[in-house]
Amino acid sequence: MTDNNVWQMTLDRLDATMDLLNLTPGIRKYLRTPRKILEVAVTVKMDNGDIDIFTGFRIQHNTNRGPAKGGIRYHPDVTRDEIKALALLMTLKCTVVGIPFGGAKGGVVVDPKKLSLRELENLTRRYTFEIINNIGPDTDIPAPDVNTNPQVMAWIMDTYSIDEGHAVPGVVTGKPIEMGGSLGREYATSLGCVYTILSTLKVKGIDTTDLDAVVQGFGNAGYHCARILYDMGFKIIAVSDSGGAILNKKGLDPYRVLEHKDKTKSVKGYRDAEDISPEDLLVLECDVLVPAALENQITEANAADIKASIVAEAANAPTTPKGEEILLKNGVFVIPDTLCNAGGVTVSYFEWVQGNLSYFWSEREVKLKLRDIMEKAFYEVYKVVQDKKVDMRTAASLLAVERVARAIKLRGIYP
Amino acid sequence: MTIGSKQKKSVWDMTKERLNSVMDTLHLSRGLKEYITEPRKVVEVSVTVKREKGDIDIFKGWRVQHNTNRGPAKGGIRYHPDANLDEIKALALLMTLKCAVTGIPFGGAKGGVAVDPATLSKNELENLTRRYTFEIINIIGPEKDIPAPDVGTNARVMAWIMDTYSIDKGYSVPGVVTGKPIALGGSQGREEATGRGVVYSLLSALKVHQIDTTDLAIAVQGFGNVGSNAARILYDLGFKIVAISDAGGAIHNKAGIDPHKAFKHTEEAGTVAGYKDADTMGRDGIFEVDCDVLIPAALENQIKKSNAGLIKAKFIAEGANAPTTLEADRILNDKGVFIIPDILCNAGGVTVSYFEWVQGNDAYFWSKRKVDLSLRDIMEKAFYEVYEVSKERKVDMRRAATILGVERVAEAVELRGIYP
Repeated sequence: MTDNNVWQMTLDRLDATMDLLNLTPGIRKYLRTPRKILEVAVTVKMDNGDIDIFTGFRIQHNTNRGPAKGGIRYHPDVTRDEIKALALLMTLKCTVVGIPFGGAKGGVVVDPKKLSLRELENLTRRYTFEIINNIGPDTDIPAPDVNTNPQVMAWIMDTYSIDEGHAVPGVVTGKPIEMGGSLGREYATSLGCVYTILSTLKVKGIDTTDLDAVVQGFGNAGYHCARILYDMGFKIIAVSDSGGAILNKKGLDPYRVLEHKDKTKSVKGYRDAEDISPEDLLVLECDVLVPAALENQITEANAADIKASIVAEAANAPTTPKGEEILLKNGVFVIPDTLCNAGGVTVSYFEWVQGNLSYFWSEREVKLKLRDIMEKAFYEVYKVVQDKKVDMRTAASLLAVERVARAIKLRGIYP
Repeated sequence: MTIGSKQKKSVWDMTKERLNSVMDTLHLSRGLKEYITEPRKVVEVSVTVKREKGDIDIFKGWRVQHNTNRGPAKGGIRYHPDANLDEIKALALLMTLKCAVTGIPFGGAKGGVAVDPATLSKNELENLTRRYTFEIINIIGPEKDIPAPDVGTNARVMAWIMDTYSIDKGYSVPGVVTGKPIALGGSQGREEATGRGVVYSLLSALKVHQIDTTDLAIAVQGFGNVGSNAARILYDLGFKIVAISDAGGAIHNKAGIDPHKAFKHTEEAGTVAGYKDADTMGRDGIFEVDCDVLIPAALENQIKKSNAGLIKAKFIAEGANAPTTLEADRILNDKGVFIIPDILCNAGGVTVSYFEWVQGNDAYFWSKRKVDLSLRDIMEKAFYEVYEVSKERKVDMRRAATILGVERVAEAVELRGIYP
C-alpha cells in the first residue's frame, strides 16, 4: 500500500462519517485539513565526522479541544501522508474518550538501528529543537511511538526544559517514572481494552468472565491484554507473535508464556500448548478475539471464518473495511480501535495532568480513573449505536466528529 | 516518490540541479552539500477564513526557511493560486544565495498562500493575512525570519502582518517585516531599490569593461516596478532608452524614449504599446532591437533557446528572477555576452529591505540619500567580489556568484558547527 493511500483511506472514512452529519463545506474542509505541518531538516554530526540530514515531521491536525497530542516515530518508511493520517486519527481518538486534547503525530525518516547512542540522542535533541516553538505542555505534547521510548522522551523533555530555563515535565508523556512518568502507563492500552470488553459483556447481559479469549500479538499490548484478562478469570486459549502461535483449549498462563518468550524470543514452542499457524489463530472457536498486533489482519479473506462474538481492537486498524462488513453481517460485536485502544492516550493525559500539577497519583488511582473514562466513553458510543442504529465504529466517529465540529463552532474563527 | 514525479521536472529539482552543478566543483563533504541544499524548516499551515457569505474556507499557506547560518531568514510572501511548496522551496534557496552574495547578514526564506487575492474582499484578505501570520507567528520575528512583499502582496499586507505580530507581543515590532508603508517604518527608496540596484550593477559592469560613456542604447523588457525604475534612473544618468516592452507590446525609438513619459502613458493606457513618440511592435520584438544593454525585468524563462541568438546586446542585466534558461545562458556565453546574474543584479530589493530592518530595529531612520549611497556601496562591493571570483576561477558571472554564495554559507555552517 502506498503512503498516499493511507491518507486517502483515512479521508474516505472521515467523509463517510461526515456524510451522515449536517456539516457545511467549510467545516468539512476544516476537519479534513491538518492545521499545521512542520517539515524540518534534522542535522546530525555523525560518528564518521561528516554531517547527515534526516527529514523530520510534526503535524498538528486539530487543536480546537485542547493541545495537540500524539506520538513520535523513528522509522525509515515514515512519510508525510502517514503522519497526517495518524494525526487525524489522534484527533478522533482523544475526542471519543473525551479527554481535552487535539490530534498530532510526528516522525523522523531514520532507521534508529543504524545510529550510535550518541547519534540517536543528538538526532532527538536537534529534532526537538527544530520543532521547539510548536510543542509545549499547552501547545502540543509528544509521546513514544514506533522505535521511540521513555529514554527518547527524557531527551526531548531535557532539551525543551533547558531551552525554557526550568523543568517542564508536561511537554511529553511516556517519560520514565523517575522523570514524572505515570504509574500504569506501561499497560494502559491493554487495561483500557479490557475495560471496553467488560462493558461490552455488560450491555450484552453476560455476567461471567468464564469465557475463552484469543490474543493476536504478544508485544506490550498483547501480553498485558492476555495477562489482565487471565487475572480477571478469562481463559486465554491461544496467543501469537511474529514467530508463531500456540493453543491450549484448557487455558494458558500468560506469565509463563512471557517467561518462555523472554528466553526463546517467541511464544512458539511453549511446552504446555500446541503450535498452530498464525492464520488459524484468528478463526479459533472462542468468545473474545483481541487483535493486538498489526493493521489489516481481519480481511475479507478470513472474516467469515471468525467465530468470536466480540472483537476488541487493541491494535490500530486491524480490520479492513471489507472485513468489518462481513463481521457485522455475522453479528460480531466489534469494539473499534479509536475506542478500544484509547487507554494509552488516556493515561498519557493523566501523566500530563500529574506533570503540570507536580503531584503524582497511586497506581490504584490511575486504574480507577482510567476505568471511569473508558466506561463513560463506551456507553456514550453505545448510546449513539442505539439512537442512530449504526455500528460501534461509525458511532465512535460520529461522536468524535460532532464534538470537534461543535468545538470549532463554539470557538469561532480567529481573527 | 511524490505525486509530481511523473510530470516534468519541478522548479525545485531544477534549482537543486543548478546548485549541485556548482557545488560539485567545490571541495564540500556530502553532508555539507545536502545541508546547503535542503531547507532547514518547512511549515505548512491551514489558513482558515470566515467568508462574507457565512461559511469558512481553508487556504494552504507555507513558510520555508532554507538557511539561517548567516543570520535571520529573509524572503517574501506571495499570494497566488498556483503557489506551491516546490516553488517556495526553490525561491527560499535563491534567497539564501542572494543574501550571501551581497554579504548582508540574512539567510533565505520564502512564504506563500495558495489563494487568488482578487477573489477575496478586503476584509477577507485582511483576515487571511492575520490568520496566516498567526499560524507562523512562532517561527517569524525580527531575529528569526523577516517576511517582505512578493507577488500578490504589498505594503498594506505587510502592515497587517506587523500589526498582528505586534499585538501578539504586546508592543510594536517594526522589524518583523520589511516593505512596510513609510508611515510604519518603511525605508526611503525601497520602492525603486531593485531597479536602482540593477543600475549600480550595470555601471560596475561597464567600468570593468572600461566603457566610460553613458552614450549607450538600452532595451528594457518589462515595465513594472523593476523595469520602469531602472529605465528612469538610467535615463536620468544620460543613457538612451531605445526600447521598452510589457505584456501588452513593445515600443522602439532609435533616437531614445523618455521613460518618465512612457510610464505616464502606461498608467493611462495599461500598456506601453501605442506610446506616441515611438514605434509600437510585438512584445517579443524587444529581444531583436539594436542595443548595448538588455534588461530583462519581467518573468522567468523569457530569454530562451529560440530568441537568445537574436539578442544584439553586449550586456544583460537580470532585473527579473531567472529570466534566462540554461540553454540560452550557454548560447549567450558563447557569443561573449556579459550577463549580470539575477542573484547579484536584482539584490537591491533585499538590500534595502535589510536597511529597513536595521532602521526598524534601531528606530532611527535614514535619508533617501543615505539609502542610495549605502545601496551603491553594497552593490559595488558585491559586484567586484563576484567579478574577482569569475576572473580567478575562469567562470562566468552566474557561476561565480553561486560559488561565492555557497562558499560563504558553507563557511558559516562550518564555523558555527552542528547543534547540539
